[in-house]
Amino acid sequence: MKKILTLVLALVLTTGLITGCSTSGKTDEKKIKIGYVNWAEGIAMTNLAAAILEEKLGYEVEMVLADVAPVFTSLASGNTDVFLDTWLPVTHGEYLEKYGKDIVDLGISYENALIGLVVPSYVEADTIEELIEQKETFGGKIIGIDSGAGIMSATEKAIEAYGLDYELVNGSGPAMTAALKKAINNNEAIVVTGWTPHWMFSSWDLKVLKDSKGIYGEAENIHIYSRKGFEEDKTEAAKFFQKYTFTDEVLSDLMGAIEESGKDPLETAKEWMNNNESQVNSWLGK
Amino acid sequence: MYRLPIGNYVESGVDWLTNNLSPFFGGIKAAIEAIINGFEFIYIGIPFVIMLLLVGILAYITAGKKTAIFSIVGSLIIYSIDLWKLTMKTFALVTTATVIALIIGIPLGIWMSRSNRLNKIMRPILDFMQTMPAFVYLIPAVYFFDLGPVPGAVATIIFAMPPIVRLTSLGIRQVPADVIEASRSFGSTPSQMLFKVQIPLAMPTILAGLNQTIMLSLSMVVISAMIGSGGLGDIVLKGISQMKIGDGFEGGLAVVILAMILDRITQGIGKSKAAKSRKQ
Repeated sequence: MKKILTLVLALVLTTGLITGCSTSGKTDEKKIKIGYVNWAEGIAMTNLAAAILEEKLGYEVEMVLADVAPVFTSLASGNTDVFLDTWLPVTHGEYLEKYGKDIVDLGISYENALIGLVVPSYVEADTIEELIEQKETFGGKIIGIDSGAGIMSATEKAIEAYGLDYELVNGSGPAMTAALKKAINNNEAIVVTGWTPHWMFSSWDLKVLKDSKGIYGEAENIHIYSRKGFEEDKTEAAKFFQKYTFTDEVLSDLMGAIEESGKDPLETAKEWMNNNESQVNSWLGK
Repeated sequence: MYRLPIGNYVESGVDWLTNNLSPFFGGIKAAIEAIINGFEFIYIGIPFVIMLLLVGILAYITAGKKTAIFSIVGSLIIYSIDLWKLTMKTFALVTTATVIALIIGIPLGIWMSRSNRLNKIMRPILDFMQTMPAFVYLIPAVYFFDLGPVPGAVATIIFAMPPIVRLTSLGIRQVPADVIEASRSFGSTPSQMLFKVQIPLAMPTILAGLNQTIMLSLSMVVISAMIGSGGLGDIVLKGISQMKIGDGFEGGLAVVILAMILDRITQGIGKSKAAKSRKQ
């Protein structure tokens, strides 16, 4: 009995292997691979782009979720076609320094994204200077994200420039939002490194502390980057990405739709695409 | 104090590899991809009901009635939270990593059991593989193998292979000297000794190594998702990075159930082998 079972299993596995080999390795003119990171605005833009590329332009789109550094690495080595969520000049400036010569800017998709120090709206402080006196209230800590992010080095500069006697705590995006959630639930004071567009602003009532010295820069823009040679061999798609820009209103609407539906983001993006024909046509240059 | 430029050496080493060995890595990538796709094709292709029966039968044969019931209930839970397909994707990745780890690890373990010098050389290397934080080699892995399940499998192999190597070597070294003596006096050749005496007697220990390798593979699921491996890791990653605790927990639960089923089944095989070798 056991022997027969093992034999059956082995047979099934080998046939699977053979078929598996024969189905892989398709190279297609109309295939596009988009890398994305698990950030709300990127998920929204990426899924909508995939919907439009598939339904309106007839491409086959593969979306790959990964961490931000691997996505840039893959883009630079030419294995991933596009990444729609590059924040410049500060947040991803370091990746541009490293990979800038191997990747191509297809233009800005969203202007005036902000980065800075964020607090719940019920705390008294409105400016970064006020943090100095209220060190007791905030416990002398700024809750940060991953140590490699541009917003972290900007915050270190801010600590120095404003003479804050605060400790910048390294962690991760989720740890930062978890700390924020906990503080808000207990009505405590907290200061975190934050940015817009981000879902935390739609979840809670928050404010960005005024940065009179302009350490965090005026505002960030979100860029679309592609691998080298993408414009040459996928001209139509590249043209679309160059026109693919969002106003605050349009992006909030799309992000809200995805956040609320709870369904597969691609399905929601397709629905949104069908409900916003004129907007979609303007991206397609019609 | 002179600062050793270790980091710079490593970087230029990686650059050199990228520039000079890309066809070689391309070949490895294609092979691993084919294996993963093969397993995925099977696991996802077999209808859930049949898969459920197979899991139940396998668990019953290896580990008895309780495990069989647990496996079936666990699989039903995964199916009911809509994570079956992703679980099978993760299982395909784990299977691939484990199979490759066995193909490399068991011969290496046998060789280590026979050579004290190799043993000395390999031990620090195995320590390195097990303790170097995975993120350190994830980025170079993306350079060589692109985003997707392949670099995930490679990182998983690096992390999960040491136990099978160590325990294979240990199991063979622990075969009692009088047994070796006896078989030698009956005129067995070295290869007969290995395949008819040492490996069968070391089997329970080797299977414990296999069990550890599978469990370690599963602990790499989320880290692999950071380089685009997909599967259950995606669900967990999405859950934790957007504070969707519920989704993250469901993904995590599926990983735990898969781990427990695989653990009980491989342990069951080990136990029955141990009982057999005592009987003989």
